[in-house]
Amino acid sequence: MLTAKLSEYVAKAPALWVEGQVVQLTRRPGQSTCYLTLRDTDVDLSFSVTLAARVLDALAVPLADGAHVVVHARPQVFPRRGSLHLAADDLRPVGVGELLARIEHLRRVLASEGLFAADRKRRLPFLPRAVGLVCGRASAAERDVVENARRRWPAVRFEIRAVAVQGPSAVAEVTEALRGLDAEAEVDVIVVARGGGSLEDLLPFSNEALVRAVAACRTPVVSAIGHEVDSPLLDLVADVRASTPTDAGRRVVPDVGEELAGVAQARRRAATALTSLLDRETRGLAALRARPVLAEPRRLLVPHAEQTAALRNRARVAVRTALDRATDDVGHLRGRVAALSPAATLARGYAVVQTSDGTIVRDAASVPGGELLRLRLAEGDLAAWAEGPWADGPWNDQDDDTSGDTTDHTTEGPDQGFDDPDQEES
Amino acid sequence: MTGETRDPARSDVEDLGYEQARDELVEVVRRLEAGGAGLEESLRLWEKGEALARRCEQWLEGARARLDAATTADPS
Repeated sequence: MLTAKLSEYVAKAPALWVEGQVVQLTRRPGQSTCYLTLRDTDVDLSFSVTLAARVLDALAVPLADGAHVVVHARPQVFPRRGSLHLAADDLRPVGVGELLARIEHLRRVLASEGLFAADRKRRLPFLPRAVGLVCGRASAAERDVVENARRRWPAVRFEIRAVAVQGPSAVAEVTEALRGLDAEAEVDVIVVARGGGSLEDLLPFSNEALVRAVAACRTPVVSAIGHEVDSPLLDLVADVRASTPTDAGRRVVPDVGEELAGVAQARRRAATALTSLLDRETRGLAALRARPVLAEPRRLLVPHAEQTAALRNRARVAVRTALDRATDDVGHLRGRVAALSPAATLARGYAVVQTSDGTIVRDAASVPGGELLRLRLAEGDLAAWAEGPWADGPWNDQDDDTSGDTTDHTTEGPDQGFDDPDQEES
Repeated sequence: MTGETRDPARSDVEDLGYEQARDELVEVVRRLEAGGAGLEESLRLWEKGEALARRCEQWLEGARARLDAATTADPS
């Protein structure tokens, strides 16, 4: 009863074109209808479909598993099992041109949403703690990525998710793996790698759901799908497009050997530069210290010493000349003194007559008789009593007849009648 | 001379950086070579020159020691 009601209700639904990927086409010879399962390209959902055999025969290209098709069908309920299925009356393969057109359309839509905008692209980490890798099970792609990365950095750590990389489940599995790796804190970069394949094989990588999943990833994604020429939409949304898995392997890790060599060289060059600077400065300092003014300070003293010596000599010369002159002067003076001094006169026989009070007697008359006189001779002194002027006394007439002469001869030399001492000597 | 007397000329030499000490040394040598300075002045200049030269040497040896220490710390 329920099934009848249900099938009646379902029969009202209109016929519609449903797109999907053929899975499990079963066709028994002789049977007019064949059964196949149609999977949705985006989500993990499939329908069983019944189809008249003749529609299949009409196809130019035999239908292969995994082919993309569009069926015109009406939902029906199998009365016996109560299961829902699609009764298809027409089936058309989705052609390559069609596929491409659809991809192009999707590309424009996603581009307009800005999913491919350059500013969304994130830089790859220089040294990832772990590299996430989504690839086919034991695929060449996996080997290429891992080996190339290891060659550059042996210690690289991979988180590999082996998934279907073509066919109906590819999109779901890849997306699942992507989300898993994105959630891993340690995974700093995710590589989605796949070897070459037909357009159809690579179709999942232009799938909207997958592209949106990649856009949603927080971890940078590297797309390495197919060969150089292949460029699925994944290439546009990924942060980095690697032409091949090998290229991806090289991009995600630095060549540590190279980096270490670079660092070592930088250190060496820094040290060398500094050493050469130090050597240059040391040589400069040595040169300065070698300069005579520093090396032999005694030389500094030479000019001063010479100057002092010169000065001393001049001083001596000056002094000597002064002395000589002084000596001469003294000589002269002595001469004059000698000339003027009475001593010479006395030596010539004269004497200096002084009264007791020391006055020198020049005028005989000035001395009264009986005065004590001091006669200073060349040698010693004599004491004598004055008898008065020679002329008045009796001793006068003996020596010459000038008694009548009244002139005072006292002014003449004392020897009046005595011989002049000088004459005696001459 | 028993102790190192804190001669003002020498003390400020200690505070000089390498380039300053070297430039002053060049200046001292120039003035000494120009001559004409008095005996006392020449002696003072010569002493300062020696002090400056020693200072420069200290800087250079220090730098060399630091460099050696750094490079031998972990021979790359």
